[in-house]
Amino acid sequence: MNSEELEKKAKWIRLELFKFKTKSGVGHLASSLSCVDIVTSLYYDDDVNFNHKTDYLIFSKAHGSPSIYPILADLNYYSFDELHNYCQENGILRLHSDKSIPGCHFVGGSLGNGIGFAAGLAKASPEKKVYCILGDAELYEGSVWESLIFISHHNLNNLKLIIDRNKYGILGATEDLLKLEPLEDKFKSFNFEVSQIDGHDFSQLKNSLKYFGSSPQIIIANTIKGKGVSFMEDRFEYHTIIPKNEKDIEQGLKDLK
Amino acid sequence: MIAQRDAFLTKLFNKAIEDKNIILLSADMGSPSLNLWKSELKNQFIATGISEQNTINLASGLTHEGKNVFVYMMASWFARCFEQIRYSCAMADLPITILGNGVALGYAPSGPAHQPNEDIALARTLLGMEIYSPTNSLVAENLVDLCLSERKLRYIRLERSYSRKLDNYNVLNNNLNILENHKKSTEKKISIISSGHLLGKASELYDIISKSYDVQLIDLVRISPLDKVCLMDKIDKTTHIITMEEQNLQGGFSSALCEMLCDLNLNIKIKRFGLPNFYIFENGTREQLLNRFGFEINYLLKESLEFINNE
Repeated sequence: MNSEELEKKAKWIRLELFKFKTKSGVGHLASSLSCVDIVTSLYYDDDVNFNHKTDYLIFSKAHGSPSIYPILADLNYYSFDELHNYCQENGILRLHSDKSIPGCHFVGGSLGNGIGFAAGLAKASPEKKVYCILGDAELYEGSVWESLIFISHHNLNNLKLIIDRNKYGILGATEDLLKLEPLEDKFKSFNFEVSQIDGHDFSQLKNSLKYFGSSPQIIIANTIKGKGVSFMEDRFEYHTIIPKNEKDIEQGLKDLK
Repeated sequence: MIAQRDAFLTKLFNKAIEDKNIILLSADMGSPSLNLWKSELKNQFIATGISEQNTINLASGLTHEGKNVFVYMMASWFARCFEQIRYSCAMADLPITILGNGVALGYAPSGPAHQPNEDIALARTLLGMEIYSPTNSLVAENLVDLCLSERKLRYIRLERSYSRKLDNYNVLNNNLNILENHKKSTEKKISIISSGHLLGKASELYDIISKSYDVQLIDLVRISPLDKVCLMDKIDKTTHIITMEEQNLQGGFSSALCEMLCDLNLNIKIKRFGLPNFYIFENGTREQLLNRFGFEINYLLKESLEFINNE
């Protein structure tokens, strides 16, 4: 797909996300919207060369994992009807993706654990590419740094960590609450190859996602929380809140069409 | 006799030479037997450092890819990575063997931080988790075969020391065994149930009580889940059960036994001996602390006789 087609696909994913999240009222819509372009690039940009049947994407920030639900339906892991059944009694899709969902491999929902699981996958299967998406606020978990030490020491260069740097946790901006910066320096000091990109730019995403070098890599993908929905963008209040009133839903649908 | 950890890890080493899928992770837990792993099986041994949380997550990823993973760590830190065991092993239904070294007061007098007295209670809340408490090195060694032949999520509680009296005792059944049995035609029939290091103390109590009563001594190797069928068969005629565990009484194996008796509506009297309901900030050897905190033989005998004779 070219950039224009990827943009179109991402817009469709955001629209589907917005529809099933507002219908159910369950989950972290804003955190899912911020990483849509990352997963769109991974699954649909042929140049990235991600084989969803043999390689792995692990959502360590599993609250953002519903962003791949429309994609997995599109790839025939389950029917599109499941999107409408998100978090419904007879549906198979939940707020956090887990191994019971076709196309997903990891039991998500507890932050700081997906990265260690991904390290185990990468260590056991060096022939496979392993991508792992972490939230920036997830970096507060100490287990993340335990895993970084391990990944660096064992030079797991088939593992690519992607930080969805949307800059907010539940209570506000990370830099106001508990500073994470300078993140790039921190990762570099662990001997990671670090790239800092615009997480909504498909050209930058392509280049950083397809690249595998001699060292383990981290992409700091600068993203916008709530991306695509005008009144949600960069508003930490929407971390857990899903638009409920008709006017907001109408506006969101208009923004995403 | 060698330590349980060395018995287990050496046997596992010999199996791992043939089976390249066996991987041993050590979260900075040492053992003389690790030297062989480090020199001969470099690709199957990973030192993960003092990072129990990452170690468990890593183990789950390796297991997902077909490896047969054994995690070796200090038993005290089972609590530290409880969440990872819950999410990445139990919920993910991945068969990993966790070897917890130095259970109960095994590290005395290192203080309460190194004396896990609630690891059974924690582990038995995890769905799908099996807990084993071998009494000596022979029993620990047997468990290697079990772990390789029947893969499940397991927590194996390794003792740092055990009763010399039970050095050469080996088990027929990995779940539970009658260690000694003294038949007598008395109305009261007693079962003493214990496991691990404390089985030595239980054996002392058995020696005295068996002079006057019909009594059997049961070694509970698999302490969770209880082998109900086998246990029911062994305690079929029992009127009084005495349990001895080096653990808090909230949630230990005697709690599981009480639950079982209740669920099966069995009217068997039970007397439970365990560690006190506080953390022990006192120095002493394991034996000294056990004697001071509820396991002195004369105290055990007095309490047991009162229990048996109390109508």
